[in-house]
Amino acid sequence: MNVIEIKDLVKIYNSSEVKVKAVNGITIDFEEGEFTAVVGPSGSGKTTFLNMLGGLDRPTSGSVKIGGTNVWELSSRKLIDFRMNNIGFVFQSYNLIPVLTAGENVEFIMHLQGKPKKEREKRTKELLESVGIGDRIKSRPAKLSGGQQQRVAVARALASKPEFILADEPTANLDSKATSGLLELMSEMNRKHNTTFIFATHDQRVMDKARRIVTIEDGKILKDERFER
Amino acid sequence: MKDNFKIAWRNLWRNSRRTLITAASIFFGVFFAVFMSSLQQGSFENMVDNMVRFYSGYIQIQETDFKEKRSVNNSFKVDNALETSISNNMHITHSTQRIESFALTGSESKSIPAMLFGINPEKEEAISGLSKWIGEGEFIASGSKDILIGKVLAENLKVHVDDSLVLIGQGYHGVSAAGIYRIAGLLDFPLPDLSKQIIYMGIRNCQEFLSMPNLITSYVIMVNAPEEVSGAVTDLHKDLSKELKVYPWDELQPELVNLIEGKVASGKVVKALLFMVIGFGVWATIIMMMHERRRELGVMIAIGLQKFRVVIMIVIEAFFIGLIGILSGIAGSSLLVWYFVKNPIIVTGEMAETYRSMGFEPILKFSANIDIFITPAIIVFVIFALISLYQIYYVIKLRTVTALRGLN
Repeated sequence: MNVIEIKDLVKIYNSSEVKVKAVNGITIDFEEGEFTAVVGPSGSGKTTFLNMLGGLDRPTSGSVKIGGTNVWELSSRKLIDFRMNNIGFVFQSYNLIPVLTAGENVEFIMHLQGKPKKEREKRTKELLESVGIGDRIKSRPAKLSGGQQQRVAVARALASKPEFILADEPTANLDSKATSGLLELMSEMNRKHNTTFIFATHDQRVMDKARRIVTIEDGKILKDERFER
Repeated sequence: MKDNFKIAWRNLWRNSRRTLITAASIFFGVFFAVFMSSLQQGSFENMVDNMVRFYSGYIQIQETDFKEKRSVNNSFKVDNALETSISNNMHITHSTQRIESFALTGSESKSIPAMLFGINPEKEEAISGLSKWIGEGEFIASGSKDILIGKVLAENLKVHVDDSLVLIGQGYHGVSAAGIYRIAGLLDFPLPDLSKQIIYMGIRNCQEFLSMPNLITSYVIMVNAPEEVSGAVTDLHKDLSKELKVYPWDELQPELVNLIEGKVASGKVVKALLFMVIGFGVWATIIMMMHERRRELGVMIAIGLQKFRVVIMIVIEAFFIGLIGILSGIAGSSLLVWYFVKNPIIVTGEMAETYRSMGFEPILKFSANIDIFITPAIIVFVIFALISLYQIYYVIKLRTVTALRGLN
C-alpha cells in the first residue's frame, strides 16, 4: 500500500542571477514499511526533495500525497498539524530542544497532540527504553552524547505515531559505533513495527541497511533499486 | 500554556549572564526613573505645600475683581450663607478669613513697602503653623494690637522685637491709613521672599487700620488632600453669590504651576532618553536571542508547534526579563525612596543660599506617590509590547526550511 505518492515534483530556486532547478520532475511512490535511502552527491537535490516530501519546503510544481492528502494544498496551520500527526523528523544536528530533558523532548509532541498526561508519560518511557536510553529520561541534551541525542531524536520522531519518518543525514555527526547502534535501532523499529523510514544520506553504512536505494542526481532520479535484506 | 511558561522560564537561564545583564539594564532604568520622579515630585509637592500653607491655601474665595486688582476696595462681607456653605463642605478641613493689602513701613532709619496680612492668629496657626517660624519674640493672639514682621524685613528696617513700627497705607475707598504698632515677634521663614516683605496683624486690628469693618479680601480654605480641591471648588461654586469667585490654588499661583510644568517636561525628556536607550538595548538582546535560536524555532515549527504558540512562548520569555527588571527596580528604588521620604536631604552651605535666593526652601523632599512606581513599570511594559511586535514579525517571516539549516 502506497503511503506517499509524489508526482512531477519540481523545485526551482530563483537566485538573483540564475534559476536553479534543485528538483526536476520527480515522480515516485513509497510503500508502508519501506526502509529507503535517498542518495546522491552534494547538491544533487536529495535534501530539497526530502523537505518537500516532509511539508517543509513548498515545491514550485507537482504534488505530494501522504495517505491520500495533497499536503501542499493545506493551509499553513493545517500543514503544521499534518506534519505533527503524520511525519516524524530526524535531523542531522539532532535539534533537540536544549532546555527540555530527554523525556520532555519526546513528550513535547504528544503534548501538542493533546494526549493525556498518563499516556504521554507511559509512551515516553517506553520509547526511550526502546531506543536504549531509558535511564537518561531526566537528562538534558547537553548531558548526552551525540549518539544518545540522536536516539532521543528518533524517539521523538516516533512519539506522534507518524505515517513515516524522514531522516536527513542522521548519522553525519556520529562516530561509527554510534552510527551502527542507531542504524540497528531504526532497522529494528522498521522490522518490528513496520515503521516507514526514508533517509537522505551519503553514508555507506546506511545504504548497506536500506532495502531500497533511490539515487538522485541533478534533481532527477537516476536509479531506484530494491534489495532483499 | 503551562509548557510555554516552563520553556520560556528555562530559556531565560540558558544564558543567565545575558538575562541578568538585560534585566539589570531595566532595573537601573526603573530605579533611576523612580528615584528621579520621587525627588522631582517630592520637591514639587513641597513647593506647593509651602506656597499653599504660607500664602494661598488650596482654595480662596475672593471678590470677583480682587485677583486682577488687589485693592481693599475689592473686599467683601462674609454672610451666613457663605459660612454655612464652608462649614457644610465635606472636603474642607480648615478655613480662615484674611485681609491682604500693602503698607509702607517706617522705622527711624528707613521706609520699606511691605505686604500686610490681617489674620485670625488661631485659625492661621491651624493652617500654616505660623508660630513655628517665630525666630524672636512671641506669636500674637486674637485681639492683639501688636504685629509680626519678617526677620529680613526687620533687619532691613533695623528694628527689633518690642520696637514700634509705623504703617502708612491706603484704606477702604481711599481713606488714609496710618498707625503705630509694637513688634511682637520676627518671622524667620524658609522662603526669603516672604521674610523680607511680610507683616501680620490681627484681622480686627487690620480692619480698623484700613477702615473696612467686617470686610475681608479673601477667605482661605484648606482641604483634606490636593485631590479634593476640585470637588470642594465645585461644591462652593453652587452656593456662591455672583460678586464672589472661588479659585483653586493653581489659579492663584500660575507662576508656580508654570515652573512645575516646565520642570516636569524636562524630566520627561530625560526619562524618555533613558528608556529609549534601555529599549534599544533590550531590543538588541532580543534580536540576538531570536537569531541564536532560529534553528530551534524552526525545529519546533517543523515538528508541529503552531507559529502563534512559538510567538506566545518567546513573548512570555521577553516579558519574564522585563518583569524581573521591573520588580527588582521597583523593590530597590522603594527602599531608597522610603529612606529619603523619612529623611529628606537638608541642603546646606552655598547651595542652601542659592535655594533661598531663588525663593525655595533648602530641602530636598521625596514623594512616595504610587504613580512614581507605576509609570516606569507601564513604560517598560510598553517597550516590551513594542519589542514583541518585532518577535511576532520575526516568527511570521521565519521560513522553517531555512531556519532548520540555521540560515537567515
